[in-house]
Parts: sequence; C-alpha cells; structure tokens
Amino acid sequence: MILAGGLTSGATVISGKVTDSADHSPLSFCLLRIMPGNHSCVADAEGMYSIDLPEGKYSLSITYVGYKELRKPLFVNSQNAEKNFSLQANTLTLGEVVVTAKESEGMSSGSKIDRAAMSHLQPSSFTDILELLPGNISKDPQMGAANTITLRETGNLGATGTSTTNPDYAITSLGTLFVVDGAPVNNDANLQGIGTTNDSSSPDFARSTTNKGVDMRSIGTDNIESVEIIRGIPSAEYGNLTSGMVNIRRIRRATPFSARFKADEWSKLLSAGKGFLVSHSGNILNLDLSYMDSKVDPRNNLETYKRLSGSARFSANWMNDWGNIRFNSGADYTGSFDNAKVDPDLANGKIDEYKSRYSRYSVNAESIITLSRISWLSNIELNGSLSFQEDILERRRQVAPSRPSAAPTTMEAGVHDGHFLIGEYISDYRSEGKPLNAFLKASLSGNILSGIISNKYKAGIEWNLSKNLGDGQVYDLMRPLSASWTSRPRRFSDIPALNVLAFYIQDLVTLKTTAGYFDFQAGLRGTSLPGLDKRYYISNKIFLDPRLNILWHLPDYRDLRPFIGGGFGITTKMPTIDYLYPQAHYNDIVQLNYYDVSNPLEYSRLNLRTYIDDATNFNLHPAKNRKWEIRLGASFGDNRLSVTFFDERLRSGFRYSSIYTPYSYREYDASAIDPDMLSAPPDLESLPFTDKTILDGHRVVTNGTRIDKQGVEFQLNTMRWSLLKTSLIISGAWFKSTYSNSQMLYSSVSDVIDGKPVSERYVGIYDYNDGRVNEQFNTNFMFDTQLTNLGLIFTTSVQCMWFVKSTMLHKNGRPSYYLDSADGTIHEYTSDSEKDIMLASLIKTYNETQYNPVKVVPAVYLNLKASKSIGRWLRISLFVNRIIDYLPDYKVNGMTIRRNAKPYFGMELNLTI
Amino acid sequence: MKSYILFFLIIAMTIIASSCDDEFSSSTTTHDIDLKIGFPDDIDPADITDAIVTFRNLSSWQVTRFSYPSKGDIRLLPGIYDVEFSASIVLGNGNDAVIRGVSRSIQIVSDATLVRLTAYCNIITDDLIISEVFFTGTLQNSGNQYYGDDYIKLYNNTDHIVYADGITLFESKFLTTQKLDFSPDIMEEAVTVQAIYTIPGTGNEHPVKPGEYILLADVGIDHRNANPNSFSLEHADWEWYDVSSSPGNLDIDSPNVPNLDKWYCYTNSFWMLHNRGYKAFGIARIPVDKETYLKEYRYSYDYDLVTNAGTFPMSQTAYKIPNDWVIDVVNCSVESEWQWNVTSPRLDMGWAYCGNINNDKSRFFKAVRRKLLYIADDGRIVLKDTDNSSVDFNSNVTPSEIETQHTLIGLGQGTSQIITYDGITPISK
Repeated sequence: MILAGGLTSGATVISGKVTDSADHSPLSFCLLRIMPGNHSCVADAEGMYSIDLPEGKYSLSITYVGYKELRKPLFVNSQNAEKNFSLQANTLTLGEVVVTAKESEGMSSGSKIDRAAMSHLQPSSFTDILELLPGNISKDPQMGAANTITLRETGNLGATGTSTTNPDYAITSLGTLFVVDGAPVNNDANLQGIGTTNDSSSPDFARSTTNKGVDMRSIGTDNIESVEIIRGIPSAEYGNLTSGMVNIRRIRRATPFSARFKADEWSKLLSAGKGFLVSHSGNILNLDLSYMDSKVDPRNNLETYKRLSGSARFSANWMNDWGNIRFNSGADYTGSFDNAKVDPDLANGKIDEYKSRYSRYSVNAESIITLSRISWLSNIELNGSLSFQEDILERRRQVAPSRPSAAPTTMEAGVHDGHFLIGEYISDYRSEGKPLNAFLKASLSGNILSGIISNKYKAGIEWNLSKNLGDGQVYDLMRPLSASWTSRPRRFSDIPALNVLAFYIQDLVTLKTTAGYFDFQAGLRGTSLPGLDKRYYISNKIFLDPRLNILWHLPDYRDLRPFIGGGFGITTKMPTIDYLYPQAHYNDIVQLNYYDVSNPLEYSRLNLRTYIDDATNFNLHPAKNRKWEIRLGASFGDNRLSVTFFDERLRSGFRYSSIYTPYSYREYDASAIDPDMLSAPPDLESLPFTDKTILDGHRVVTNGTRIDKQGVEFQLNTMRWSLLKTSLIISGAWFKSTYSNSQMLYSSVSDVIDGKPVSERYVGIYDYNDGRVNEQFNTNFMFDTQLTNLGLIFTTSVQCMWFVKSTMLHKNGRPSYYLDSADGTIHEYTSDSEKDIMLASLIKTYNETQYNPVKVVPAVYLNLKASKSIGRWLRISLFVNRIIDYLPDYKVNGMTIRRNAKPYFGMELNLTI
Repeated sequence: MKSYILFFLIIAMTIIASSCDDEFSSSTTTHDIDLKIGFPDDIDPADITDAIVTFRNLSSWQVTRFSYPSKGDIRLLPGIYDVEFSASIVLGNGNDAVIRGVSRSIQIVSDATLVRLTAYCNIITDDLIISEVFFTGTLQNSGNQYYGDDYIKLYNNTDHIVYADGITLFESKFLTTQKLDFSPDIMEEAVTVQAIYTIPGTGNEHPVKPGEYILLADVGIDHRNANPNSFSLEHADWEWYDVSSSPGNLDIDSPNVPNLDKWYCYTNSFWMLHNRGYKAFGIARIPVDKETYLKEYRYSYDYDLVTNAGTFPMSQTAYKIPNDWVIDVVNCSVESEWQWNVTSPRLDMGWAYCGNINNDKSRFFKAVRRKLLYIADDGRIVLKDTDNSSVDFNSNVTPSEIETQHTLIGLGQGTSQIITYDGITPISK
C-alpha cells in the first residue's frame, strides 16, 4: 500500500463527503488517514472532510466503526479538488468491538483503550482500566486509599512480597502526567495532610495524595472516549513527568441518552449522559453526571468513599475557505469524599473521625485552527484551562496522654514555656487547601517537504501556574492530635506560587526508501521555573529533555508488515510546591522539666528552647529519568504482535531524608527547686544550669530516591477465527524494579548508655541501600468471543502471575562516618571508633539470611466478563474476577503460606434511548 | 458422587482411628522410667534430704510422687508428663537451701524411658526479693490506657538489715510469649536484658529493715491529677527517670523521689514496664563498676523471629547479666500467651501473669504479688520464695498500692475495700 514515487511541490485542498455505500447516509466523524506523511483528518457530523495535501501520490485509508476499511490510492494534483467516498457496511464486523487495550502504532510504546473496551471492562474508576496494561492483572478496588499509578514497575513490596505504600517512592505516580482534553491535571499545589507526621495507622496515610500526583479514584470513566497510556518516551510536547503519561479524550459527539447502573461488592455507580447536536453546523453539547458510593469494606459502614462528577462540554467547528477552526470547551465538577470513623461502641466512647473532601471546579478551552493554504503552517493550537479545588480535611480525636506529656506552644524560635498536657481532651484538626491551577499552551505545526523526505514539525510553549489559596492547618496548639506532637500550623496561602514555563520543538522526518520507510521523531523540551527565589539551584535555569523515537516500517512481505522501533529520552519532573516549600521543622528542646507534685497545674514549668529548621533544600534538583526502549513487531493480516524492551533509570527522585545537626541549649537542674518554697512556677534565673550541645534530626527534601526499571512487555492479538467467533489476546510483561536510596543515610540508634542517649552525642552515616529489588512476570490470555447476531460479547481471561520475587538490598551496618555533637563535624568511622562504648553501639547488626529473596509462586486466576444486548435499549453486563483460581502453597522464611482468593463480581445495566 | 465416597471414607477412617485411641488410653500397662538427675558440682547428692520426684500426667492431671532415690522401679502409665524434682540441703555456710529441677512435656510411651533432669540449688535468698510487680497500669475514663503508675516493690524477707545500695533493676530483652532459638544460647549463664537501672549508694546508705518494702516507681507523683482512676506514688523510694530533651517523649521527674542511676536502656524515649508483662523482671547485684560492665557485657546474638508472616533470622545486640549476680527474677506473661521462660530454670522455674487472654481488658488495675508464707512471732511477714514464680506468686490480684489507698480496682468496679498481705490473704484487724 505504500506508493513509491516522487512528490512534487504545491498543495491542494482535497475535500468531499464520506457516505454509506448502501443508503448514502453521511458517516459522521469517520477517520481519514493518508500515507506517507501521517496526514489525517476527521470528517464532521455531515461526513464532510477537508484536508490540504501537497501534490503527489498517496495511499488513503478511511475507517469507521461497523464498516470495512476503505483503502485506495489517491492522486493529488491541482484539478481534483473534490473527492467523495463511500464505505461498505461490514456485516461480519458489525457490532464487533475491541475489548482490550490496543498496542499503539505511534512513535512510542503505549496502550490505547477506547470506549468499547472500557464498557466491557465495567470499571468503577480509572484505576480498573490499568488492568489492561501489559504486566497488570485484575485487582480488587481499594477505596480506602489514594489510587496512584505505577507504570512498568512492580511497585513497592514488603518482606513477604505484598504491596506496601512508601512515600519515599512517590515519584512513581507524581511523575506520571494525566492530560484530559489537552489540559494537564495538576496536583502540584496539593498540601493536604496531617502535620509532618508519618503515622501509617492514620487514615490520612493511605489517602493523602500530596506529592503523589493524581488519585485515580476520582476519575470516572463514563465520559471517556479514548485513553492512550504512553509507557515509552512521550513526545516533547508533553513534559513535567518522569515515568509516562495518560492522555484522556472525552466524548465529544452526538450520542443518544445513555444511563448506566453498576453494582458490585464495594460500590454502586450511577451515571447518565447525552450528546446533543446543537445545530446543523455540527456544534455539539455533551452533558453527563455520575455518582459513585463505595465502602472500603462491605461490612463496615463507617469507612466510605463517594464521588460525584458532572461535566458539560461544547464542541464547535467552523469551516472557511482558508481552513477550519475546531473549538472544544468544557466545564467540570468533581467531588470526592472520604470518611473514616472508629466505631464508638467498640472503643469505650473513643472519638476518632477522619473526613476528607475535595471539590474540583474546572473550565477548559481548546481551539485547533487548521490552515489549508499554507503547508508549512497547517495547524495552530491554543489551549487553556483553569481549575480551582477546595480540599477540606477534618480530624477529630479523643487524645488520652498515656502519662503527663507536653505541648510546645510557640510559633517563634527562642526560649519559651511549654504546656503540660494533663488528662484527656478532644482534639480538632482542620486543614484547608485551595489549589488553583492555570494552564496556557500555544503550538504550531506544519509540513515541509523536500524530495523523498517529509518533515512534520511541531513547536509550542506552555505555562502552568500552581498556587494554594487555602488557610492551611488550623488547630489549637494546646490541643494537638497526639501527645507527642511537635509540628506547627501553617497557612498555605503564604506559600508562593509555582510557575512552570516550558517550550518544545519537535520534528518528525519521514523517509521513504525501497527498504521501507523510516520515521525519525526528534524533539527537545525546555522547562524552567520563572520567578523562583534566586537561592534555589533550579532558578534561572532551563532543563532540557531531549527525546528521540525511531520507527522503521520494513517493506511488506505479502501480508506480513514488520516494524522495528526504538527511542531514547530524558524526562524531567519539577518539584511540587511541598517539595520546594516544605513545612518548617520545629525542634523543641527541653531546658527545664519541672513537675510540681502538689500543684501540677499551677507550679509546674516546662521551659523549652525552640529552633526552627527550614526544611527547604535550595540545592534541590528536578527529578530526572533516563529512558530507552527497543520495539519489535509485525502484523500479519489481522494478527498483531509487539514486544518492547525497556530500561529506565531515575537517580534523583524526591524524598524526605533525615539530617542531623548540633543544637545548643541550657539544661537547668530541677533538683535545686524546693517545692515547698514555691508560690509560682520556679524562676529560671535562680537555677543552676549547664550549657549543652546535642544532635537532633530533622527532615529535608532531597533527591535521594533511586528507581531503576527494566523489563519486557509483549502483546499478541490474533485474528478472529470465524468458526468460533473468537480471538485470542496474549499480553504480559517481565518487570525488574529497584527501589532504593541514591544518597548516604543518617540513621540514629536508640540506646541510652550510662544515662546518655547515644543519638544526642553521635549519629552514624551509613552507606547502605535501604530498599529492595523486585521482579515479576505475568501473562494474561484473553479469549474474546463476540456473537454479534445474539448481541453477546463474552471474554474469558486467564491471568497468570508466574512469580513475584523481592530481595532486600545489602545493608552495611557499619557506619562510614559519624557526626559528633562535641565539634559538630563529620568524622571517619575507624577501627579505633569501635573501642568507644558509645561509638560501638552505632554498628547495626543485620542477619545475612535477610538478603535471601522472597519468592511468591504462580498465581492463576480465571476472570469472566459478558455483556448482552436485549432489545434496542438495554444491555446487561456482568463480570466475575477470580471465579476459579490456582494458588499453590509456598514457603516464605520457613512459613507455609496458604493463599485464597475471593471472587470479585458485579453487574451493570446500560440503557440507551 | 466422587466427593461422597471420599466423605464416607473419611468418616470411616475417623471411626477406626478413634477406636484405636480408646484402646490406647484404656491400656493399663505401665512403663518403667530411667530417671537421671544431674546435680550442681558443689553439691554432694549424699547430703540432700526430703528428695521427691513428682510426675503430673498432663491429660488426666493425675499426680504421682516418688521419693528419690526411689526404693523400687518407677512405673507410670503411658502419657505426657511434667516432671519436678525437689530436695533440701544445708549449705556449707549453714543456710537452708532448696534444690529443684523441672522438665516439661516428657513423653512416656515405652519401657526404660530416659528422663533427664538438671537440678539447681536455689539462689541464696539472703537479700531483697521482688514482692510485687504492677506492670499493667490503669485506665482513664475513656477506656484509654494510662502509663506512668507502674511500679515494682522489693521486700526484705530476711531477719536482718539489708542495704539496697547497688541493687540493679532489669527487664529481660526476650518476650515470654515468643520462644526463640538464639545463638549463642547463654541462658544457662546469663540473662539477656534491655533496661538496667541501679540504686545509687556506697554500700550502707540505704538500709532496709527486716519486713520492710522499698517501692521503685516509674513516676513518683500523685497520678490522680492526670488520671483520677489512678493512685499516688509520691511516697516511692526511687523512680526511674529518663531525661529527655524532646517534649514529644517527656518523662516526669518528681522532685521528692530520688532517681535510679540509668546504666543502660534500649530506648531513648521513656522506659516503662511492658504493659502486658511479656518480660522477666529481676534484681541483681553487679559486682563490677559501671564502666567495666558497659564495656564488657555487651554481646551480639542471632535468632529466628517467628511471626505470622514467616520466620525471619535476625541479629541483635544486647547486655547480659550473669546468673550468679541475679538475686531474684519473676517471669511474667498473659496466661494464654506464655511460651517459655526467658531466664534459666535455676533463677525461676515458673511464671506469673495478669490477664487470661491477649489484650485482656480485665488485666488493668492488676498486679502479681508474692504469696504470704507465714507471719513470724515478731509480726514480720515471711513471703514464699522457692524460685518458682508459678508457686510463689498470686497472679491477677489487686496491687497493694490500690488496696492501701482505696482507689479504683477497675473501670466501673468501685474502690478497693480490703487490704491483704499478698492480694489474697486479708489482713485481719
């Protein structure tokens, strides 16, 4: 189908109408693709199309659901300006749909998932769609935790090979860009959380999305037309990411009124939508509404997650003699509500409540101007979006200090008195965040032809603003959420805005030779943070991301169409507002701890010296990921195979690390106080004291996270065997992911020797790896049976996780250096150091056997999904995941692990009027 | 169909198997036992008197006693037995002492079953003993736990003055609820400890008269200010105070109660007694100075941590206190959770507990208290000390401080009305 031959200069507008060959009705929004040069256009609602092409010989392909693909040579010269085409309805494929992810045929490896695949999958949220990516298998919904994305990796695993959450590796999901209708979903201004605590038992720990990117629970799927998940090297057009990107396009076409009701063990979902044809010119208004009510555990009414979303989208198209303007706009609301409460009847009247709600309002507009007369400038795109979020986190808790404890009360550095917490109290904590995001983007694209080389360039600039206008954390310092609380409230609106300015240029060169044709896509993206304080390393710098993708379509051999591709790229993610302006650390040191036995409330005195440590790291770099991949593939008739090898290396991921520094304070001797002589709290001046210096730790943001990802992804789609009306899709992946630290770690010991805490005197600096290296290999076999005359689609998937393996990285428990409070400097840890009792206790002992890998043996599940149309209006779908499983026992650390799987099932009703 | 066949097969086999069992247990054939008792090197077996071996059948609870050396064959029905040995001896210094040995869960199924016991001379009790451990703490009105009112009482059970100077309070590193194979296994020589606090003094500064108690408290204040359900420990003789520069883990230093000398602690937060008592608590007299001890008695060991998630080989470092220095130890636990004693049977052959099941809410406001043996002619109380905490202690009883201060004996259970010697025997007026 590829035509060899010269192209001559000069451009012509080709336009016409695409109709059904039988009744000549227009085929609205059918897709026209013209090779070489990757030209494409979509017809309007009336089936009218228009495209501007240089003179020459082309191959045209027109596709439309339910119709046979039309492939035709196309000769373009100045005379033939109008061309009409008609497509033949394909009785065999009528109603046949693609029920899984298609491997992208673009320049980089990616998965394309369209409406039909999503509706067959019956998802509750965007999270469920990820099952279709190579390497993933179906999972139960996790409604009590933020659902963050992982691409091409195993995710964090614990000592027994099960998934765990670790904020040190948040860059995984933070570095994945979500784009909806051309506008990024920006979560960089999210600061919600509970102080600086990192308590994994708190309901906030799993639900917080600060520094974690997008919570996929909050994205419904019912108004999505198609999703492309780019796992490989994204085009230079997209940036501020490290891992990959998710490109969501929502429905913008006339659709009948459709309603969906889904119920499963965890949730109930109701959604409805319609696309109105506003006028005959093809202007369309899409309206939809969706509500989901779910429980974290079906037996527990006290932990819930609810989502409400509504959207209005307007699309218009103006055709002129000079070209075409397509205008898309939208207004959206998403509300996301988390509740968690401890049953008061089970806990002696204990009050423990957590509520987090999030309301996002956004508007976006996108204009695509297609110029038909100038070939070097064929498209001008303008994008803008504005979103405002209102995040409220409320925590109410009965705090029972287990012994008299202390609350620091000052917001300033220096010496002051603390407050004894005596007895139980109710603590109320509120955090109010109001992230505001604005986004503007302008880009140009065009074609330059010379001989057998065709250039398709694209260039643009974009600006992204994030600012939090919220009041921040609001609570009474005398009534902290826990008796060992040391953090202080802060106003989010005092934190400066984050501006990310970026430009990109990209050229796609297509070269046609007898050895097939080559596509070279080379792009460069520059990112900077204008307006950032000069003290930051990042300020006044432009960080460049070179990206290169090559695709070589080898000459066809009969029906066999092989290709080889590959890519290399650097992807950069700028720090979030929290990483740039972290919450200050307050270090309160007890100078006098006098508890008066007879009048504890009146005469006790707690004197503190407070240091405020700025946790800001001015030397913070952006997180940078280096990616390469090699792709091989071929299509043979309707069979398609693709294999991708990849390697990614990230050494500068963001994390909070502890650092230790000496602090001086005055220790008063409380034994000099005569309790009987007091008529007020003791006076400091009259007390003997010693001036001391101790070490203490605080957290700072660093580039200390390392994530290495390697693996192979593969997918095979077979043609449909006409006898069985079944096709087979085999997909899977082998992943090897290393999660570790890239910088040396301070680590303190808790021993107290001779009444002196070792950590106040010495802290060791260890050159060890704190993470794990994980591996997994899976294959999913999906049999897709479509009996179109019965309106029945039936899929059977056998999902095999062949193994999961996790190995702890080696730890050297002997410190390389130590910090000494006496001089505040770092010393080398020598064999002499071991002779000192206190320094000897810095040596941490690790058992060699803990580095033995933990291996989880195969797990095989059978999932069934079916949907059946009943009459004209109704479709019923149901699914059962893990209806049959094969889970052999295995041993971990000498313990036999018996596994069992609970089936996850649900059904839904779709009404189309 | 197939599954039905299998089902009947299983039932049939169960019947056959259980009938076998019946035959087995109804057997009246006895087996003879080959009993071997090892004695400490400094004890001549010829000097012992009143030697008795007790076999307790663990299924029938039947107790059979034999004198030792036995006059004839020791014959027993087949089964699983706990075997205990006890004898008396007069030591070279003229003190009476008890020799004991214990071996648990011995299976006797055939003739000439070898039963091997190692007998130990009890620790010479010419010093203070632990009379009470209150580790559970009290509850606040909301049902939340309150800590800080935990204490340990020591008692002079002798007939002469004993100086408390230099007595070291320790808590074991290992849990009585988690049996470990640790190597090197030094339990026969030393106790592995994680907290060491010593009573300061030159040797004769702190006399304890016969029949007197000394109270070692976590925080020596009136706890009713913070928790009205608690009691006062203002009258404590000593408190263990953990200096902290961080308000997040503050300990309270009572100005009226002197502090123990903190030699070592595993945590830089505050130390309190394990509140389910999964530890052994003990006292010792360490004959070397602090610097030498801290330098020379640290050791590293490997062990397997067995958890629900599997067995994890671990390495750790801790301090050890040689058994010879130990004066008294009480192994504590929760009744259903006890797995092993974390000290040598030479130091303690049994264990005491508060709470019958894990996380038992009824354990709060409860202590373990040493039993009253007799009241001497001069009115002095003599407590039972056989180095077997199961026998020597009353478990799950009201603490003495709650009794004497008439404070709450449990949330919603009213205040204490009676005062006892040992939690059981009331003091008759």
